[in-house]
Amino acid sequence: MTQEELMSVAIDKSIDARGTSCPGPLLAAKKAIGQISKGQTMEVLSADEGTKRDIPKWCNKKGFEYLGTIEESGFFKIIIRK
Amino acid sequence: MKTKKLCLALYSGSVDKLTAAGVILGGAAAEDMDVEIYVLLQAAFAFKKENAMTNTRVAEITDKKDEFLASLQRLDAPHWTEAFKTAKEMTNVKVHICGFAGKVWNGFKLDDFIDLADDICGIGEYISSAEEADINLFI
Repeated sequence: MTQEELMSVAIDKSIDARGTSCPGPLLAAKKAIGQISKGQTMEVLSADEGTKRDIPKWCNKKGFEYLGTIEESGFFKIIIRK
Repeated sequence: MKTKKLCLALYSGSVDKLTAAGVILGGAAAEDMDVEIYVLLQAAFAFKKENAMTNTRVAEITDKKDEFLASLQRLDAPHWTEAFKTAKEMTNVKVHICGFAGKVWNGFKLDDFIDLADDICGIGEYISSAEEADINLFI
């Protein structure tokens, strides 16, 4: 998925984990994924560099679809489809 | 699919190592792993009710202790007890206090330890748990 396509994905739930360090964003994602339905999307906002690798791997293990990461100024958004 | 199991022999009573254990527990919780923690010797000191929140000992890079503790605060990192509590809320985590370790620190009953502790056990339980675990760690 290109960055343009990624930016046009409709987001059903947004989690702001920018104030936390590892494993905070991952745990925030785990807590929130239970609040959306299969097929819905979620973005996780984080400034923790390790999260960029953690969440895609976690998605792969748990059967969620990692759609991509959007870089913003001082943080990034990780987009997931359940 | 079989739930994976992490067995943690937690020997250290220092906040640096307990904080590391809390981070690892977070990772295990994210993956819905079963976790068995065996609180051995020095860790039993940290789990005593009167010590858990006041103990600031560190095991490594001790000359930078103040900088380390200040960084944890600056990063808003949860106290290790909070990290353990969060993991317990998110996945199946059992905390067992080694009976011998408890006695070393005058902890004779479960009530002598913080609420994170589930029971007091013997080393045989740890060995059985370690045999069954997918991941074994000693901290």
